[in-house]
Amino acid sequence: MTRPAHPHAMQPSRPGRTRTAPPSLPDRFPFAGRYLAYTLFDLTGLLYLVVGFVVLRAVWALGSGPETWQALREQFTNPLYVAFHLLTLVAVCFVAVRFFRLFPKAQPPRIGPAKPPPGPVIHAMLYVVWLGFTLVFATILAGGLF
Amino acid sequence: MSPAPKKTLVVTRFDPDRDAAPRTQRYEIRVREDWMVLDALNFIKDEIDGTLSHRWSCRMAVCGSCGMMVNGEPRLTCKDPLRQYGETVTVAPLANFPVIRDLVIEMDGFMEKLTSVKPWILRAKQLAVEAGPVRQSPEQLEEFKQFSMCINCMLCYAACPVVANEPDFLGPAAIALGHRYNVDSRDEGASVRNEIFRGEGTVFSCSYANECSEVCPKHVDPAAAVNQAKFNAVIDWAKSLVLPRGGEK
Repeated sequence: MTRPAHPHAMQPSRPGRTRTAPPSLPDRFPFAGRYLAYTLFDLTGLLYLVVGFVVLRAVWALGSGPETWQALREQFTNPLYVAFHLLTLVAVCFVAVRFFRLFPKAQPPRIGPAKPPPGPVIHAMLYVVWLGFTLVFATILAGGLF
Repeated sequence: MSPAPKKTLVVTRFDPDRDAAPRTQRYEIRVREDWMVLDALNFIKDEIDGTLSHRWSCRMAVCGSCGMMVNGEPRLTCKDPLRQYGETVTVAPLANFPVIRDLVIEMDGFMEKLTSVKPWILRAKQLAVEAGPVRQSPEQLEEFKQFSMCINCMLCYAACPVVANEPDFLGPAAIALGHRYNVDSRDEGASVRNEIFRGEGTVFSCSYANECSEVCPKHVDPAAAVNQAKFNAVIDWAKSLVLPRGGEK
């Protein structure tokens, strides 16, 4: 049986003349069919929240001296941490691909006289920018810059 | 000649005078190869159970009356071939709407949301008939044409997870139609509608699930309209801050 939606979903501001049955959610929401991708997309937010705490901890370790920083780096080699970071990488890729797929059609038909390029071009540009940023950051982390 | 195949339709029933909550009823019927889901419902209504209530009118995907959940998916039943489903087909009223009776939903809430975005041409000054028609180029038409194909069937509302959880959300079709007039070169009411779009429960409540566009039977892209409307509402707001008279001509 279907689960209830918000009891006031699509209710008119004034009640009608007859009693109505409350609205129900679509059967497949939130974990079946196409809703699964959307739900996973939203759930990645929890992962980013944890990543935020990890980053804060890393900043705190940096400010606490070389020993604390070194200890944190050693903790990062723990298989659980490695698995967490890999999961985060998968989540970032998933969100990026979904966002890039939907972004082109969200562009207005024109801004003043200027028209945005066709959807496939915007799509390709997003991937080029993503790849470019990844390369720059990878070079910085490898010590190639600075 | 082989007998017509049988299918079982599991239909949601709800009588507000007798039922505490919706229930289901099974109808086993012989169906024809070319039937749509609506044809099967009409057969049940005409031949088996006259108490079954459902909305329909044109039978050619124009009026938008016969939207229902078929096997859990929002469908326009007059253009939904029955043969694509297995032996058992479930038919329920559109999700996210209160149910008046059986497969009939309460649509006043939708009509209120729709009219709130003023889906008609607004002009600062009405043109005289002598001035002749307002000309529009094919490029200008192309900017809004697909959004004007909306038939208000409300399938997008039945698919939208935000509609299910935020009662104030204007919803895909209303925003798409508001946006359709905002990008129409003949219209001068964009600032009025953008003011509405910047309010509570409007375009910025959309989390871009894209389900509305997936289920649209007329291939309108409401998700695109909603997200383009977000952009335009922000640009309009920024212009109102920096330009004299808010950038209005």
